[in-house]
Amino acid sequence: MKNNLIWKWLALACLLMALAVMPKLLPEFYLNLLITMVIYSLCAVSFNMLLGQTGLLSFGHAAYFGIGAYAPILLFKHFECSLLLGTLAGGVTALLLGIVFGFFVARKSGLPFALLSLAFNALIWGVAEKWRSLTGGEDGLAASRPDLFLPGFGTIDMFSTINFYYFVVIVVVLCITCCWYLTQTPLGKLNLLIRENEQRTAFIGYDTFKTKYLVYLICAFFCGIAGALASIFGEYVATTMINMEKSSDILIMTYVGGRFTFWGPIVGACFLIYINDALSSLTEYWAIVQGTMFIVLVMYAPFGISGLLIRIKDWVWAKQEDNRS
Amino acid sequence: MDVIGIIPVQALHGLVYGMVLFLLASGLTLIFGMMDVLNFAHGALYMLGAYFSYTVMVWTGQFWLSLLIAPLLVGGVGVFIERFFLRRIHVHGHIPELLLTFGIAYILEDVVKILWGNEPLRVKIPAILSGSVSLFGAGSAYPTYRLFILLVSFLVFVLLFLVLFKTRLGIIVRAAVSNKEMVGALGFNVPLVFLALFGVGAWLAGLAGVIGGPYLITHPGMAAAILIDLFVVVVVGGLGSIQGALLAAILIGELQSFGVLFIPQFAIFFEFLLLAAVLIFKPEGLLGEPQ
Repeated sequence: MKNNLIWKWLALACLLMALAVMPKLLPEFYLNLLITMVIYSLCAVSFNMLLGQTGLLSFGHAAYFGIGAYAPILLFKHFECSLLLGTLAGGVTALLLGIVFGFFVARKSGLPFALLSLAFNALIWGVAEKWRSLTGGEDGLAASRPDLFLPGFGTIDMFSTINFYYFVVIVVVLCITCCWYLTQTPLGKLNLLIRENEQRTAFIGYDTFKTKYLVYLICAFFCGIAGALASIFGEYVATTMINMEKSSDILIMTYVGGRFTFWGPIVGACFLIYINDALSSLTEYWAIVQGTMFIVLVMYAPFGISGLLIRIKDWVWAKQEDNRS
Repeated sequence: MDVIGIIPVQALHGLVYGMVLFLLASGLTLIFGMMDVLNFAHGALYMLGAYFSYTVMVWTGQFWLSLLIAPLLVGGVGVFIERFFLRRIHVHGHIPELLLTFGIAYILEDVVKILWGNEPLRVKIPAILSGSVSLFGAGSAYPTYRLFILLVSFLVFVLLFLVLFKTRLGIIVRAAVSNKEMVGALGFNVPLVFLALFGVGAWLAGLAGVIGGPYLITHPGMAAAILIDLFVVVVVGGLGSIQGALLAAILIGELQSFGVLFIPQFAIFFEFLLLAAVLIFKPEGLLGEPQ
């Protein structure tokens, strides 16, 4: 057990080192792809706190990703706001929206939860589409990202992809660490309880509505941060970042990665972004390949890629045990 | 024409769209509402129906023949999907079903693009239906084909209602839906019942494709365009309720028709506000049974 823990910390340290040296190794194009992967990893991890941890399927997470994406672009455009404030604003606006929607959604579970979140997502998408004077509708809005000003360090040039990469990695690692910490708190355990049996959780005296509301808000906040990073990175936001297709993308990433491990969604996000990029440059009909992949995955690896990896690991270790004895 | 004069025509427009929606939603009511299978490929099956019908028309020139053959082919595709894919993963719940049917929808959409191309297709309707009828007095002609849509959809509703509620077969189906194990223990072949139910659902989607193709234009995006409306209808009407689906489909059709007429800026909101309101205040749907 102790040995296992050391390996985990070692693997984490290796991953962080790898992230740190990547800009030296990768050409600009792949660095851009890596930034996208890192951003969506945060999105999928926060989404999985609902899906995997609490057992709540949300069809409408793009509402928070999207509104988080609009906030910094609007602030940069109209108020010359700073980079850190813009990123934070993404999270806060998503949180505010979550407070309104969550009040209704968190009372539901199962299919009604999924459908109500879809309805709210559709409403907010409708606003983005129709309120053209604010959001630019389908054409979207563009605003270049300001430089990062850190007291004590001075101004850091964010036009450089490498600098921006480090900024994204630091923000995302901080946020994912927060998410991980939350899964270890009593709130995290309570979420697992709700996933296993919501009725019984209520019977032993917990307020399941409050718990679900709280975890919903946390997810909304981090998803908003991810949205903000995505639009700051692209220096552009449009309704494609807030529509229902984006919601299903987030869901698919999380599911494909595997919802029963904390790190599964990260694998899923990286895998799907890489596959999408590779396929779309290979063939016009990439959707056929992707569709087939989904079907094979659902049929033969119902716990996602992380489930598959764990099974392989167990198999290899069992084999080693056999050899020893 | 003044605003008052336009109301009956606009109401009829809404009714026709609503009835096409109903035709599609009735299939989804069987599959999603009754069998509890989250089928996101229903729109793709509908699209397949429209394209099959187009090809049968090109080969034989017979609309009525395509009305017979195309839905049967789509029903066959549905049976295949249920037997070899959906049945095996149903125990895992909704999310695998969602992903699987997403995958199927992706594949079907691309297959359609490869076989029939990206361009919208014109499906010719038979001479007897291609004219127009004068309704609401002189000077206002209404396309006969749209009245034909109303007729077919209404017939489907009556037929489904009679089979489900007035025959022995309907009793078995409804019993199997509410308690699988018990009906199986009584000696009925429940997997076969579900296979048939899914097949009929897919057949209805195919029929909607044949009927709706000439009206809503046959193109590869037609599945995605109608999918959201479709789920709104099934949920607002009440899961598993055929009458509810009819009511909700007409409601959505009219909301869109009059919404576009009076307040075009806000037309798209009505449907989602309705969905949200129903889920918050009456989660079982307009005519659904409380759980």
